[in-house]
Amino acid sequence: MTSDLQQAARANTAAVPAISVDGLHKHFGTHEVLKGIDFQAHDGEVVSILGSSGSGKSTFLRCLNLLEMPSAGRLRILGEEVGMKKVGSSLVIADQRQVDRLRTQVAMVFQNFCLWHHMTVLENLMEAPVHVQRRVRGEVRDEALAMLERVGLQDRAGFYPAQLSGGQQQRAAIARALVMRPRALLFDEPTSALDPELVGEVLKVMRDLASEGRTMLVVTHEMGFARDVSSRIVFLEQGTIAATGSPRQLFGGGVSERFDQFVSRFNG
Amino acid sequence: MMLPLETLQLLGFGPGGWGLPLLSAAGVTVFAAILGFGLGSALGVIGASLKLSRHIFPRLLGQTYTTVVRGVPEILIIYLFYFGGSLWLTGIMNIGGFDGFYSLPGLATGVIAVGVVSGAYQTEAFRSAYLRLDRGQIEAGRSCGMSRGLLLRRIIVPQTLHFALPALGNIWQSALKETSLLSVIGLTELLRQTGIAAGSTHQPLLFFSVAAAAFFLIGRITGRLVRRVEDHMNKPWRR
Repeated sequence: MTSDLQQAARANTAAVPAISVDGLHKHFGTHEVLKGIDFQAHDGEVVSILGSSGSGKSTFLRCLNLLEMPSAGRLRILGEEVGMKKVGSSLVIADQRQVDRLRTQVAMVFQNFCLWHHMTVLENLMEAPVHVQRRVRGEVRDEALAMLERVGLQDRAGFYPAQLSGGQQQRAAIARALVMRPRALLFDEPTSALDPELVGEVLKVMRDLASEGRTMLVVTHEMGFARDVSSRIVFLEQGTIAATGSPRQLFGGGVSERFDQFVSRFNG
Repeated sequence: MMLPLETLQLLGFGPGGWGLPLLSAAGVTVFAAILGFGLGSALGVIGASLKLSRHIFPRLLGQTYTTVVRGVPEILIIYLFYFGGSLWLTGIMNIGGFDGFYSLPGLATGVIAVGVVSGAYQTEAFRSAYLRLDRGQIEAGRSCGMSRGLLLRRIIVPQTLHFALPALGNIWQSALKETSLLSVIGLTELLRQTGIAAGSTHQPLLFFSVAAAAFFLIGRITGRLVRRVEDHMNKPWRR
């Protein structure tokens, strides 16, 4: 009986996209960065968001966590519509508490890691679960240590970020996102600030997460990751989705001329 | 030439010795410095918030505060507070039917004067420390759903304090020395007490040397304390 209910609940949540966006616009002053984006990410999808610089891919990702406020459009996280109201010509958050609650569900991993300098790695991991989600400290601690082991940093729990390499910092930042038990992970060019020899260790963690069935949205320039790991590619150009499809479709060529040109520049 | 034994007696705690008055005066100095610096910290935080405001009016207010206070000699600020405050107090008392001249209590005025001066410098220390914060640190907090209060308490304050501490240490030393100016409004702090002792014993060099040594020592000891806190707060930033 209980398991039936649980299954029904699971089936129900599976039908609701983790993230859903309708007609998303964003402009900075008169410069329009996003020109109407419709997008859905379902549980277990790994979506690579590609595009040349200035295409709006980072802005798009940041809108999903409300680090950037959309100028127009609707955003639903776990089926819950994010309340926005119009003040003058721009949108503002209607209910800050709702946004703060939903943000832990779409955890962000930044290009520059952005671990908090004044906390140890373990403290970084425990901060949001304990102070934002108000979970029990002891349990969070165990989970955080387990996450550190997952990303291969079990012996770095007491270190400060400044004592770690870039690759280690980014792995810790991924663990920090995971401890919040988010429904989806947002990666904003997670390997772009790393020395080339450190990119591999971060990509490996991301591959492992993808194979676990995590929902991931990844803004990246790593064509190998996009082709081999993601279940779907979204190619942005000048603020619109210029092409989308499975990696096999898109990388096979012939779907979008612009995408083919974009890829050829990487293989050049 | 003064005999060492006589010197010891003059500075000692026995009859005819100035030890106790000097010690309590040193206490007043430290007390005034601590309270003044503390008030300055509060003013500094307010001043920095004003100067960092998005709106023009608070910014102008903060700007005026720091420019005026830093541009006027400290001793003048002390005079202005003391005589201005006393006139004001007398006016109120006279309206209330109490005639005569009323002067503000020296310690309270002194603490406020030192605080206002120290606050102007601390405003700059806090402001520039805040500006050194990496925006990514704040974004990471926001992205995790931290409220403004939580962000302030857990991320912004600890990191700003870390960046501000070296400057605050210097400002503390200035505040400590500034308290000597309070002797002009009759506060019996270290300098005034040594002045009295020097006058009545005709040993100015001895007593002023003692005062200098006392200031130096207090500065050294508190400086060490600040350094320790600094070391502790620097730990995360060391590689």
